[in-house]
Amino acid sequence: MRRKSWLWVGLLLTIPVITGCPKKPPKTPDQTLAVETTPVAPPAKEIAAPKPPEPKADIEEEALPSDIVELNRVLVERGLIGDVYFAFDKYDLGDESRDRLAANARWIRENPSYLFTIEGHCDERGTNEYNLALGQRRASAAKDYLVSLGVDAGSLVTISYGEERPFCTDSSEDCWAKNRRAHFVAIGRR
Amino acid sequence: MPRRLFPLSAAIVVAALVAAAAPSPQQQTQPPATAPQAPPGGGDVTVILEPGQRALFRLAFPAAVKPAGLAAEADSAALELEATLRADLDASRGFAIQGPRALAPLTLTGDRVHDFEQYRSLGNEVVLLAEIDVERGQDRIVFEGRLYDLKSGQSILAKRYRGALSAARQIAHTFADEVVQYLLGRRGIALTSIAFASDRTGSKEIWAMDYDGGDPRQVTAHKSTSLSPAWRPDGQTLAYASFVGGAPGLYLANLATGRKTPLATQGDQNISPSFSPDGRRVVYSRAFGASTEIVVADLNGGNVSRLTYSSAIDTNPAWSPKGTEIAFSSGRAGNPNVYVMDAEGTNVRRISFGGNYNDGASWSPAGDAVAYASRMGPAFDVVISDLVTLETKTLTHGEGSNEEPSFSPDGQHIAFTSTRSGQKQIWVMDRDGGNAIQLTREGRNESPAWGPYPPE
Repeated sequence: MRRKSWLWVGLLLTIPVITGCPKKPPKTPDQTLAVETTPVAPPAKEIAAPKPPEPKADIEEEALPSDIVELNRVLVERGLIGDVYFAFDKYDLGDESRDRLAANARWIRENPSYLFTIEGHCDERGTNEYNLALGQRRASAAKDYLVSLGVDAGSLVTISYGEERPFCTDSSEDCWAKNRRAHFVAIGRR
Repeated sequence: MPRRLFPLSAAIVVAALVAAAAPSPQQQTQPPATAPQAPPGGGDVTVILEPGQRALFRLAFPAAVKPAGLAAEADSAALELEATLRADLDASRGFAIQGPRALAPLTLTGDRVHDFEQYRSLGNEVVLLAEIDVERGQDRIVFEGRLYDLKSGQSILAKRYRGALSAARQIAHTFADEVVQYLLGRRGIALTSIAFASDRTGSKEIWAMDYDGGDPRQVTAHKSTSLSPAWRPDGQTLAYASFVGGAPGLYLANLATGRKTPLATQGDQNISPSFSPDGRRVVYSRAFGASTEIVVADLNGGNVSRLTYSSAIDTNPAWSPKGTEIAFSSGRAGNPNVYVMDAEGTNVRRISFGGNYNDGASWSPAGDAVAYASRMGPAFDVVISDLVTLETKTLTHGEGSNEEPSFSPDGQHIAFTSTRSGQKQIWVMDRDGGNAIQLTREGRNESPAWGPYPPE
């Protein structure tokens, strides 16, 4: 419960930053520095955020759904967890991917009781066999980066589906791009 | 192919010499003959064979003799037997066959000497006389096949088979292999099978079918995703990859008992199996985290040794027929290419230089060439790289995407996956790319693996 209010504090604080209004004095002490949810490349190794104090009356709290399917939907909807995408035949992480992974890392670190699968997927244009290996590299690239950001490796499982479980099946650039991804799925509590 | 003729006795001598010299002769060269070919109509004719040409035996195969008034089921079995035999002999690519239609102008009286003269008049050298009968209340089928040399009238081969009506195709395949062995001096493929992956039941499972697409039978029912089957050289076991255990792992399926056992399930991923020719070891691709590498292990999963050490993807290995080399795919040059290394992991050398994506190596049974899929345009085509001449030939030409080649054990045919009919299906073509025919039609089918000769 305390961690969730921490998150909402952080989100609230980004509003004045984004809109450019004069900063309101933060409602919590200076540990807010660790809660930068604007897209900035994080340092190589972030220190885990310390425990926040009790929330004030005007902070909203929302419980996360206990149903895992609903949880995944909510996480994606709120932008807390998201997939990263890759260029054709590649498993490198671009800047956008690293930012997305940093945001994922934040939530996973703050909610260490959840276990995640990172699925590696490919578009249909390569061969089935090579795509299985490529998917594995994509999932591992995402996992390794998260671990470098302080996420506990034990909360991440990787699996490659190659081109076997596509998200869409049109033969179009648009669909192919959607399939080249590392897909995050919360699969339960540890 | 231009038709050449030469005396049958010379042909038998050649066939015998060739059978003695090599297990699967692919090219026969003959000293140039003195006379050009004579018109059909009998008499001695001689032939000039160029390298790459095989002499086609001119085989007369008149309609099989059957009893009148067969019941529907028995008649259907008889028709199937005859049709299968004709197709098998054609598929051997060793015969120029004259069937009932080509033989229609002849007047046949039933007198052997007279009839043989008639067959010869159309240029035939051998005749196959087939007789189909039923017994036990039309419950069982009996087939008699006789081969005669038309010039001497001598019997070359005579066989009789009996079986349930459902054994009709099997009988045809068995006799066809006998004919091929006798006349062409090599083993026939009519009794071989092709394993493959099919989603026709709703999930991708491992299946097997006869080499001509007949009798498809389901091998796995994991209701997960199972793929890349590989034959153990004794033909009794298939290795395959499956997601049934969560992460992709390797399993063995005993084809007689149906039993499935795990082969490699540690780590994050175990895929793409290939057996050593002695059937004792398996080479495959394994991943621990970001490292995708090729390893060899015993059939009980023990004695694992790692063969590749690049930081790139190394996958899809194929053990050579002589056991001395392993072909595989690697991204170490920046894009997927096919490489060959010694079976110990030494002497890695690249063999694919065309296209921008090369994967799926299949060795020719003689070990002198590797077929694989190469992407030179928007989709893949099957190519074959000769390891001696270092030439690469393209076998398919943009009809859809063509991948996953697999050689027949006689080296004459290549099964492959093609999307040319709209969906992925298994097709077969000759080694030179000709005569492509579709083998599967139901659901989506891919990942063909041509099985070995049956035990002798």
